[in-house]
Amino acid sequence: MKKLMTLLAAVALVGSMAHAALAGDTLADVKKKGVLVAGVKDSLPPFGYIDEKTREIVGYDIDFVKAIAKKLNVKVELKPVTSASRMPQLMEGNIDIIAATMTKNPERAKQIDFSHTYFLTGQKFITNKGKVKSLKDLEGKKIGTAKGSTSEQNVAKAIPTATVLSFDDYPQAFLALQQGKVAAVTTDESILAGILGKAPNKNKFEIPNLQISEEPYGLGMRKDDKNFVAFVNKTLLEMEKSGEAKKIFDKWFGPKTATPLKRTFKITADK
Amino acid sequence: MLKYHFDWSIVTSGKYFDWLVSGLKITLELSSVSIVLAFLLGLLIAVMRMSHIKPIRFIASAYLEFFRNTPLLVQIFFWYFGSYKILPTAVNDWLNSTNFEFAAAVIALTIYTSAFIAEDIRSGILSIPKEQMEAARSAGFSFLRSMQYIILPQAVRITVPPLVNQFLNLAKNSSLAMTIGVMELTYQARQVESYTFKGFEAFTAATLVYLVISVSITWAVHVYDRRVLNPQKAG
Repeated sequence: MKKLMTLLAAVALVGSMAHAALAGDTLADVKKKGVLVAGVKDSLPPFGYIDEKTREIVGYDIDFVKAIAKKLNVKVELKPVTSASRMPQLMEGNIDIIAATMTKNPERAKQIDFSHTYFLTGQKFITNKGKVKSLKDLEGKKIGTAKGSTSEQNVAKAIPTATVLSFDDYPQAFLALQQGKVAAVTTDESILAGILGKAPNKNKFEIPNLQISEEPYGLGMRKDDKNFVAFVNKTLLEMEKSGEAKKIFDKWFGPKTATPLKRTFKITADK
Repeated sequence: MLKYHFDWSIVTSGKYFDWLVSGLKITLELSSVSIVLAFLLGLLIAVMRMSHIKPIRFIASAYLEFFRNTPLLVQIFFWYFGSYKILPTAVNDWLNSTNFEFAAAVIALTIYTSAFIAEDIRSGILSIPKEQMEAARSAGFSFLRSMQYIILPQAVRITVPPLVNQFLNLAKNSSLAMTIGVMELTYQARQVESYTFKGFEAFTAATLVYLVISVSITWAVHVYDRRVLNPQKAG
């Protein structure tokens, strides 16, 4: 009985430690601290990855964070996050903004606020060449993706008979595809293009034209942090107007890059 | 100001409850299969360690040191991803057509835990006066038969408390299988969290279930110990 009481006490202690972050004014805080802490991906070219030469995290997401920090006249601190960890990190105040290939969706919008869409893509598959012509070819197969992503939820809906294997990140899921452990890896086309661009045996894989969802990316900020959200949105719209946003896109997805994509969107104010 | 709204209903009924139950089922399968295999393998390694034949003793020691001193997570990745490079294509194809995630987790958990169990059983064997072995041998039992009929039955009895620890560790360590996509309890709790953002509820539920599993294992071994192995201890 005594043991049980100790146990209950331990459970109660853990419970009391679960705290929720306060809704504050990040804009003022960041200006005061002089540094903007951004949660980014660090193994996901071309959005956020470690440059082999400089050993620094670079990418599409990072350029947007840097532009916002420049506008604020503060320094940038990049903190690697995963799909599963980014929202808790933000809500607990460890980071000020999420710039980590994050799809805007209504469930997430209940917990955090999103900026205007700064990147638009769709969820597709990467498979062995010639193996997958339609979604039917993936029925009953194992499909790899990353934990805590929208990709995981979309594919479970699109192909209910498939077994979704969720790994810690996409490179690991792609390794499983290379080893034949899964029939396909699914996530946003832009990410798949990045994975394929870096793969040593590119010509064995392809991205068939099968889109199962549209994925608008937004920068994530704490709920009810109105000043900060307004500032970020204003900055994004200015970047579109000045052509800076397009320049960043071309830098990472232009025809000469390893991941050429068409820019099918413009940054506009959300309705 | 606590802004978090607790919603325990998500883990007590409906779809997410079903997920957790299916995760629990896998955790129980994974743990029970691995516990049985790890115990048998541990017994074998312990006996090999006591052998009079030097190479056998050496193999057992090397096995023990190797698997006891490397992280379980690394071993899981090794069996799942690393083994691909050293196995023939046909074997890989066959493995991939099966539930290899589960099998790789069982292999890793079994081998890792068996190293610890072997050490526990060995100390149990060492606590049996060596005259018993000598007596058994002079009575005409072979080494293995002496072990089987005289030494091990006593050694295992003494080893029960540390064995319980290893079983508990194994059941809890099984949560690492989530890293290779085995949909056990922790995996499902994480799923519930990423669908609902109710991490506190999901992981509290998982915590309580692990607690129940651990307490059940302790209790089951205790009962077995008092009823079958050491009835004299029962008051």
